[in-house]
Amino acid sequence: MSTAAEFEPKIVAYVCNWCTYLGADLAGTARLEYPPNVRIIRLPCTGRIDFNLIIKALEVGADGVLVSGCHPGDCHYTSGNYHARRRWILFRELLNALGIDLRRIRFTWISAAEGRKWQGVVTEFTEQTRALGPYKELYAAGPVPNVPAPETATTEVRSFAAETELRATCRKLLAEGTVKVVIGYGARGPVVVTRPEDADRLVWNNHCYSNLTAYLKRKEIKALGKAAVIVKPCDEKSLVVLETESQFQRQDAQVIGMACEGVGQPKCAHCTARTPRFADVTFGKAAGPEPQGSPSPDRFAALMAMPSEERMAFWTEEFNRCVKCYACRQVCPMCYCERCIVDKNRPLAIDPAPSTKGNFAWQIARAFHLAGRCVGCGECSRACPAGIDLALLNISLRIAVQENFGHEAGVDPKAEPVIGSYALQDKEDFIG
Amino acid sequence: MSEIISQAALRALATEWISAGKNVAGPARVKPDLVLYRPLRSGNDLLLEGYQRPSNSIKEFLFPKSEKLYGYKIRGNSIELTENDTPLAAQVVIAARPCDAAALPVLDHVFNWDFHDEFYNRRRAATTVVTLACIGYDENCFCTSVGLDPGSDRGSDAILFELGNRQYEVRCTTEKGRALFGGKTQKSDLTGRSATGPEKRFDSQVVREFVGTHFEDPFWKEHALTCIGCGTCAFSCPACHCFDIVDAGPAAGNERVKTWDSCQFSMFTAHASGHNPRVVQAARQRQRILHKFVIYPEKFGEILCTGCGNCTRNCPVGLGVLSVVSEINHG
Repeated sequence: MSTAAEFEPKIVAYVCNWCTYLGADLAGTARLEYPPNVRIIRLPCTGRIDFNLIIKALEVGADGVLVSGCHPGDCHYTSGNYHARRRWILFRELLNALGIDLRRIRFTWISAAEGRKWQGVVTEFTEQTRALGPYKELYAAGPVPNVPAPETATTEVRSFAAETELRATCRKLLAEGTVKVVIGYGARGPVVVTRPEDADRLVWNNHCYSNLTAYLKRKEIKALGKAAVIVKPCDEKSLVVLETESQFQRQDAQVIGMACEGVGQPKCAHCTARTPRFADVTFGKAAGPEPQGSPSPDRFAALMAMPSEERMAFWTEEFNRCVKCYACRQVCPMCYCERCIVDKNRPLAIDPAPSTKGNFAWQIARAFHLAGRCVGCGECSRACPAGIDLALLNISLRIAVQENFGHEAGVDPKAEPVIGSYALQDKEDFIG
Repeated sequence: MSEIISQAALRALATEWISAGKNVAGPARVKPDLVLYRPLRSGNDLLLEGYQRPSNSIKEFLFPKSEKLYGYKIRGNSIELTENDTPLAAQVVIAARPCDAAALPVLDHVFNWDFHDEFYNRRRAATTVVTLACIGYDENCFCTSVGLDPGSDRGSDAILFELGNRQYEVRCTTEKGRALFGGKTQKSDLTGRSATGPEKRFDSQVVREFVGTHFEDPFWKEHALTCIGCGTCAFSCPACHCFDIVDAGPAAGNERVKTWDSCQFSMFTAHASGHNPRVVQAARQRQRILHKFVIYPEKFGEILCTGCGNCTRNCPVGLGVLSVVSEINHG
């Protein structure tokens, strides 16, 4: 007997309680036969199907995952399926960038009246999965193709002229009591200045890498009183997103924008802004005209040009170096949750071990939580002590957000967040 | 009279160890600007020049970032445990920096003080450490400030000193080291040297006194304002050894694993009740310095820091032991 004949695919189906589950029930009461390979897990709504569940099913040995809910317009909760559709559009892009085989995941709408459709979809998906064979190695290592590494920063410190003016202004702001604290750059990294006489510790040079807006969320800094924060035009975008998400109010901080002369590679290779647009006050001189559009880096194009197995081999190699120090999360202005999903253990959502699976689970969650929110400051890649180019995942989502929803995070303060809103015309060509 | 070996012979020897079934790890270039200690496939992958030190440390070969303690299966009301008896191959860490090797006696104390950690001990017994003395240092190195130096053989089974012309003097300090190099070296009258710096950057006694007597000093609060609370410092430190024990659920095959943990995480001291004794980052920063310069020395008599500078080099915001301690020492 050949092994192919023995293989019975395991299919996990996440279905909504109101439409697809009833559709499946109808198939049963109507005595419609379909393969017994499917294990149904009922959830209240497709809008409630967390992306981690899809990954988890594959991790525990499912060969295929079926996700099904109410047709557009039919949602028991009005719009849960529209929200789900929007998330799936983006989630598929992320999975694709990681090299996960998209044929293993099927999205579909099945109503309570469509017992026959349920029978058809399950039969067809089971047979397709059977033909594909077991999905044994989700995170398969292999020969690692060459993806160009981001170019490294210059090492020589070059001070910019606006430094003097910046110090004088900060000294004045502190002396007059306009602000109680200045979050700026010092010789070794970020500094928090509270006394006017310490304003000379502030620097403005080509080593000012950090996105300082991440400090605005910190309790210890908030406790000091009103802050002035120094932002580069690229970092400034995070304030726009934070404001949209009600995490920051303009009157709470004095925003000091620095027209940017560039802090070197790899941050500036794909610069999208050189002049601050929202700052209360701006210093310095931009290095050139405002860039048009935001081209994706060559290294992203190189990654996406590979076959999916090679992409997976690349990420497996990269994530195997991850030690879960969470520097990527801590430097990110958008990661402001009081308690991160990885720190939740009742129940345990994500495998806490820095193992291949645990690292994939964490990095998928990190990247997807930033979908439509990441402003592309690149701090995650810079902070990673294992040299993992994490920003590539964010770039995949940024491109998908732009292509599908015409949205660019941090540009329009009036724009609705991509995740959390929906449009009736969102694409669904991938939903069967 | 000294024993010497050429770089080519050293690489060939490493390849020979690998062919003989040993796991061999050493510095390798992973990306243009990233050197890490990694398992090597061949002696030719070994990187011996052109960098100060790898961004990680050799501790991961003795105390892995994630190690299975045992497996479990839940059947109804009963739990079946399976031992982790994966055989462990002999291991050689080659071209470790003296500041990496010197951390091993520190780890030995911790993992054998009240409880003998069999997982650490069996890896330690299977490992031979061949150190490469430093010929240079950078602005973040401070081994001389914590009682070591670029040619220190502490924790090493053998140490290599550069002679120039891609030749190394080999000094074996233990039987394990002699077993590796016996008959593989040539006699010579050349003696290798190591770097004479870095100059002392702080007085560890001054630091110890300050840290031990300034628990509530505003210094900590002020200093920790820019700390972002990641675990980069602890995880790239050769001597930091805190770990957590977690159940990696069904997705990981139902295992109880020992994983690295860091005192810089807010979760590190979170009690089940919800109370957290170190609720602010300042308390966590203080803890790291206190543990290194007071708590550990009080118990074991030496500083829990080998001056490698990794915490400062890797810190995304320019902190780390050297930055903090220099401020203490120079006011």
